[in-house]
This record gives sequence, structure tokens and C-alpha cells, in this order.
Amino acid sequence: MVRLTDLPEYERDHLLEKNMPPLGPMPWSNNAKPLSAKRIALITTAGLHFRGDNAFDFADPTFRPISIDDDANDLIMSHSSANFDRSGFVEDVNLVFPIKRFKELLADKTIDSLADVHYSFMGAGLMPKVYEKSAIQVAGLLKQDLVDAVFLTPV
Amino acid sequence: MTTGISLIRENAESMQPPRSLWVPFPLGRPLGKPNDKAFQHRVIAAALALLERTTGPVLEDYPEDAPTVSIEESSACPVSFGNTQAKATTWAARLISELTQMQPWYDFGKRRRNGRSLVGVTGEPMQTMLKKLGELLDSDTLPTAELKWFKLAIEDAKVFYIEALTAQPGEYSAQAIEQILWHETHLGAGLRIFYERFTATPKLAIMARMVASREAIGGFTGEEIEINDITKKEK
Repeated sequence: MVRLTDLPEYERDHLLEKNMPPLGPMPWSNNAKPLSAKRIALITTAGLHFRGDNAFDFADPTFRPISIDDDANDLIMSHSSANFDRSGFVEDVNLVFPIKRFKELLADKTIDSLADVHYSFMGAGLMPKVYEKSAIQVAGLLKQDLVDAVFLTPV
Repeated sequence: MTTGISLIRENAESMQPPRSLWVPFPLGRPLGKPNDKAFQHRVIAAALALLERTTGPVLEDYPEDAPTVSIEESSACPVSFGNTQAKATTWAARLISELTQMQPWYDFGKRRRNGRSLVGVTGEPMQTMLKKLGELLDSDTLPTAELKWFKLAIEDAKVFYIEALTAQPGEYSAQAIEQILWHETHLGAGLRIFYERFTATPKLAIMARMVASREAIGGFTGEEIEINDITKKEK
């Protein structure tokens, strides 16, 4: 578990150094549609992509698309951080990128639809501000895809 | 609108994303437990419920711990280290010898996972990569002209070992796998040497943090960087 009190001092100090002030005014929005009427996209910062894609560089604010029609079991990882467990993801892609779980929510009508395209960033080594250009680009793509809400997963 | 998982509560508290569910799970496991559909659905439902909130920021604590396996309870590692390959006199020979031990278990694990494997970011055979890493260690050099290749090669090598070490069905302790990888294998020993070499080379010191984990080194491995730093260092 990641409770800071359970971690060695060097790990606790490192993670606390990542505390930062908010990036700006909170981008709060409400959407009156019930969940069952919402179109959902997934975004992960796990550095996922397919074998044919460009791998993520050491410090890399770009993103990779993951089509709803792609087989998520073919996703691989080129994340620069050596400091998180990979053995769980080796066993189950849904532990990090739960696309199968969301397809199940779609099948039982908990949600209305899934985006045509989902996105992967690689969240390591860079300050948040560096991702701004890519984030704006993805926001535009999600809007174009008529997405109502995004589900975010880190590693 | 967004909702999502936070693995470090204090980070989410400081940055204040609009809607965030803090989960008490290990880094790398935002949904808690692999291959546990019901557990993953409970986490997702809790995060999606935050979309209904009309004021924020919302930072909610998920109440359920993920079942974990202690080091003592971890399934046994199928490979026995430190035998024949210890006699080899070069790093290249030791790594290739270790690969010979690992390969059948990697293949076994891949079959158990229905062909799924994370190996392949470089597209090169594992033997080629390990031989090259071994030769760099033997010649006491760093891959200064091939840093991109090096990053991907060590990612491939580490995940190849993880897949081999967890080849058999069972419940594994992530900590136990880390300990074996970093402290019992020649790959782990070699990567710790690369870490020391990067750290000792001022222009490349920022690369050290991707080579070895803080747990492997037993301490801090480096600061966050600005985007331009790395390109400057590579020139």
C-alpha cells in the first residue's frame, strides 16, 4: 500500500517533493447527464503504446492514441520511472488501463458509450507545465469525440 | 469533466484536481489487484461516483485495501541464481548464461499469459541486448551515443526477467520480485553498476534515476527535470 507512513524516509521525502500548488484556477465543470448517458474516455500516464508506435523517450510529454478497436493485450510500456511495480501489469492490462472493465460497464448500460480513441501519456521526470500543449491537444480531440467524462489512471 | 485515481494522497491534496479518488494501493497498481474483476469494478464505481458531485475539488479516500502477498507468502521463484553463470569471467558471458536459465521460464510465462508479453520495445532479440549491455559493463563505458536505445533495452530486459520470475501461476509479492531482480541476478548487479557510472558522470547524472529504483539503491536517485535539460545533455 502507499501510505507515506509505511514507506522508508527517502521514499516519503521523494514523494512529498512532488507536492505542488494547483496549476491554475480549478477547471471545474458539471455535466447534468446521468452516468448512464455519458460517453467516457480513458487516459493513463503509464507510458503505454503498441509495438509499432514510437516508444516514449526519457522525458517525453507527447501522447499515444489507443483505439477502442485495438486489442489492449498488445499494449506494452516504455515508462522511464524505475520506481513502480510492473509485475501486476504483466498479469493484467486492466490493472492500469481498465478498458475491459469499461466495456463491461457499456454492456450492462452503466455508461452510454466509450470514446473511439483513448490516450496514454508517460508521467515521469517532467514538471506538469511541460504537458500543457499535449493536454490542450487531447482535450480538443476528446471534445471532437463528444466525450462527456474522462477516467484517469496513474502508475 | 474528469475523475481519476490518485496513488499519493498528499500530491492530490496539494495540486487539487477537480475529482480524485485516493486509493491505498502500491505504485503501478491503480486498480488494486490484477485479474480481480469485482475488485476493479468497485474501484471504478467509486471514482465514477465522483462525477455526480457538483462542487469541488473532491478528494475521496477509497476504504478498501488491495489484498497483498507478503515476501514470505510469495510464490517461489523458478530460477536458481549464482550457480553456473558465476564462473563466467565477463559480464557479457554472465548475462548470456543467465539468459539461458531465464528463457524457458519466460517462454513458459508467455504461454500461461496466452501469448501476452511486455517485452519488445526495442524490437531486438534479448540475447543481442544482454550481450551489448554486458560488453558495455566489461569495457567500463556508458552508451553515450545510444541513450535512447539504452533506456528501451533496460526496460525490455527488466520486464523479461519479471515475466520469467513470475512465470508459474501463483500469488507474487512485488517486493520479493524486486529483491530478486536487483539483488540476486547479474542483470540487477549490472544495472546498479550502470547507475553508479551515470551518477558519477555529471553530464549524464540525470539518466541514473531511470536505471535503478530507489528501493534498489536504498535512497534518492534524482530530481525532476525540465524538458530542455535532457536534450541539452544528449548533445
